[in-house]
Amino acid sequence: MGYVAAAYVAVAVLFAGYAWTLIARQRDLRRRIARARGADSG
Amino acid sequence: MTSRVRGGLVAAAIALPVGAFLGVVVAPVEAFQGDPYRILYVHVPSVVTAYVAFAVACVASILYLWRRDTRYDRAALASAELGEVFLTMVLITGPIWGKPVWGAWWTWDARLTTALILWFIFGGYLMIRGWAGARGARAAAVIAIIGVLDIPLIHWSAVLLRTLHPRPTVFRAAGPDLPSSFLYILLFNIGAFLLTYLVLWSVRVRQESQRARLAELEMV
Repeated sequence: MGYVAAAYVAVAVLFAGYAWTLIARQRDLRRRIARARGADSG
Repeated sequence: MTSRVRGGLVAAAIALPVGAFLGVVVAPVEAFQGDPYRILYVHVPSVVTAYVAFAVACVASILYLWRRDTRYDRAALASAELGEVFLTMVLITGPIWGKPVWGAWWTWDARLTTALILWFIFGGYLMIRGWAGARGARAAAVIAIIGVLDIPLIHWSAVLLRTLHPRPTVFRAAGPDLPSSFLYILLFNIGAFLLTYLVLWSVRVRQESQRARLAELEMV
């Protein structure tokens, strides 16, 4: 079962890593859009 | 995030662990391979999802080159990125299955090699987009269209050539060649992976739309 566990853990790590990337990108985009809007109105 | 996407994320977050539980605990042991065959329940759904993602990227790329509408380019980019993630899962879980069953992590047989070539082709696609951004959209679209031609080669390599990789047991002209106790759990996992792809693709397309909006704001 060690190989099975290794495969499932690898898939879980990839899913978690990609989800983390998406969240980080979203935060960065939100921040940059807010800054650009602020500069636009100011 | 729309309520539909949020609902999809919740459904995917439930379906993936349920599928893993069915594959690891509920599915019966395979007579010849023993427990390592359970890796099939993540390996096959990953490859099916990667194929679908790359096919979507190819169709969206054709539409982009034809119509010059950047919405298609954003759809292609999001799908190519997800396809690469799922193909990475394939290339990690395959060797983990191969070691106990074949006695080797990797062999340069036709199926494994063509799958690795597909990974490099879409790796190139993502590198172009990373370096050149929207300016690399046309070149990337051509790469996506050419890259998808590798998928039939991967599929038929195990049928037409002598390879170590098993022949297809689900997606074959004569229908699935798996007992129902294996097949239904595999189909559930394929559904869970496709749902996850669909939801993440929606999120990723939205991010690219926001990025385009940001570029407009920064130009003002």
